[in-house]
Amino acid sequence: MIEVRFHGRGGQGAVTAVRILASALYLEGKYTQAIPMYGTERRGAPVVAFLRIGESRINERDLVHNPDIVVVLDPLLSRTVPVTDGLKEGGLIVMNFPKPGNEAGIGGRFRLATVDATGIALEALGRPITNTAMLGAFAKASGLVSLESLEKTLLEQWPGRLGEMNLRALRTAYERVTPPVDVSGIQALGKRPQEEIFSRDVSSWRIFKPQLDEGRCVGCRRCYIYCPEVAISMTQGKARVDYSSCKGCGICGEECPTGAISMIQEVL
Amino acid sequence: MRRWEVMVGNKAIAYAAKLARVQFISAYPITPQTSVVEYLAEMVASGELDAEFVNVEGELTAQTAALGASAAGARAFTATSGPGLLYMHHPMHMTSGGRFPVVMAVIHRSVKGMQPDHSDMMAQRDTGWIMLECENSQELLDTGIMAFKIAEDERVRLPTIFAGDGYILSYTAEPVEIPAQEDVDAFLPPYRSKYPLLPGLADEARRVQMEQWGIGQDPQLRWRRQQEAMEAAKMVIREVNEEFYKWFGRRYGNGLVEEYRCEDVEAFIVAMGTIASTARTAIDRLQARGKKIGLVKLKSFRPFPSEEFKRLGAMVKAIGVIDRNISLGSGGITFQEIRSSLYDLDERPRVLGFHAGLCGKEVRVGDIEMICEKTLRAAEGEEVTPLVDWV
Ligand code: SF4
Ligand code: SF4
Repeated sequence: MIEVRFHGRGGQGAVTAVRILASALYLEGKYTQAIPMYGTERRGAPVVAFLRIGESRINERDLVHNPDIVVVLDPLLSRTVPVTDGLKEGGLIVMNFPKPGNEAGIGGRFRLATVDATGIALEALGRPITNTAMLGAFAKASGLVSLESLEKTLLEQWPGRLGEMNLRALRTAYERVTPPVDVSGIQALGKRPQEEIFSRDVSSWRIFKPQLDEGRCVGCRRCYIYCPEVAISMTQGKARVDYSSCKGCGICGEECPTGAISMIQEVL
Repeated sequence: MRRWEVMVGNKAIAYAAKLARVQFISAYPITPQTSVVEYLAEMVASGELDAEFVNVEGELTAQTAALGASAAGARAFTATSGPGLLYMHHPMHMTSGGRFPVVMAVIHRSVKGMQPDHSDMMAQRDTGWIMLECENSQELLDTGIMAFKIAEDERVRLPTIFAGDGYILSYTAEPVEIPAQEDVDAFLPPYRSKYPLLPGLADEARRVQMEQWGIGQDPQLRWRRQQEAMEAAKMVIREVNEEFYKWFGRRYGNGLVEEYRCEDVEAFIVAMGTIASTARTAIDRLQARGKKIGLVKLKSFRPFPSEEFKRLGAMVKAIGVIDRNISLGSGGITFQEIRSSLYDLDERPRVLGFHAGLCGKEVRVGDIEMICEKTLRAAEGEEVTPLVDWV
């Protein structure tokens, strides 16, 4: 049996990813189990999902603790979540990371394949939903599932234009993912504190950040009311963003009637 | 045509209701049941399923509406979880008392939180419903279909719950075979109530209805008849399980319990639902190491298969019973019932109790191996303490 753990953030589609993978593998005659972990469903919060792949019915109903493969849907997640915990020696990590893998801070007796899934998702879908790109990367890096089965399952899940767009993300990542490299010589970034559920600092969740043009702000307080993280305060009639509390959801920009808030992409 | 789909447990439940061609669905959403009724709502809206779908304002009404539809002669279905099930408690007695074969899916959720344990169903254990527990999504789909046939059997006429652990099954996707509609139609013909509660009842129907509602007779008789029906249900469950096997090639033990690798064992453990599934892996591992321990999966909690445990208990030296429940101030519910089933044996095995998986606490393969090892030590005559453990 092969066990896989997916790390992502609420909204990146980790649960959908394991389900699609389970269906695609089933087409290839495998028995599968796709297990989501539901906690507080907060957009941007770290989430995990698991996949088991076997030759016959899988009886284990516990969670996956010692995965063979880890898939990381978000480039900054590994700064706060110990993504390699329990990963088997020689195990594979497939990670969304825009730079060379040796800069990802992942070290140990593992192999690491990277792909800029955020960039690919923005190109193909116009939104930073990285799950389908990461499935393409997973297929290539692991060799466990064919691109054809994934394509077929994707189009069943999303017939029409949405399916086509996701297909593009899938294929592009399949082509662009790096071959897995040995990272046993790399010093893993020091032990980081695990991200706390009630932590106020959610800045590492951001892919985009709101930028305020004070000249256009009329002080209507809409952004202040709608921000789900209470990251906006009003000072002297103008809005101000507390960036440690801002998770980059973009709601403030959507709600601002004067266009005073624009969302700009973070650089890693 | 039979086909396979990778689906979550909640979808398997919805398929069971659809394939059974339910005519009436009453629904009030509650996590983790919600998507069951969402799938069904879609099926009704798209015309795939010809049923009356009634949104109600709470579970008390969900149960009462299903009861009413069943009384009028319709095949009725509802589904709920945790606190929603508690809210149905009173009308559940009415449904069983009126002998209405409503079928209900229970997607377990603890009464103390969102995560699953069996406290929701155990709180209904004396409501006179048949209760069948499932370990995977295929079993949910299959048991859902069987539930209607058992409930509607003339010898039974009792409402039936089929249940599975919330989260662990409700949202986990795995391959499930969807039986062909023609086969299900042949296995489960349309429900024809002999005694529909409709205007202009025939005399016989009126007499039966009066009896069911306890009018003008020995007031205790209703309880007694229901207990007799529960006893009769044991036979019916076995028959339906066998007939299902003939049609669909799957059966679940003898319908009441399933013995897993119990040949030549010195001890066995007992588990319900998804814990029984995980336990299979633990038993495989232990037997590979030469340990003589098997698993008895308890599928029918009500009626309780005491005779089966008496027979099985005579074959071993120790039994370890896992309860995903507790009767506070007393103990594990199946632990006690199994012990009581063994009372008349000349030589009784030792029975150990284990509380596991309450409030969704994860039960790992290693936990069950530990339970098995303790049970084996008891089988070897060691004085193991405590008698009841929290895992
Ligand atoms: S993007 Fe705007 S709305 Fe969203 S968290 Fe940041 S400040 Fe709040
Ligand atoms: S919504 Fe726009 S205009 Fe209104 S307070 Fe916020 S930034 Fe200013």
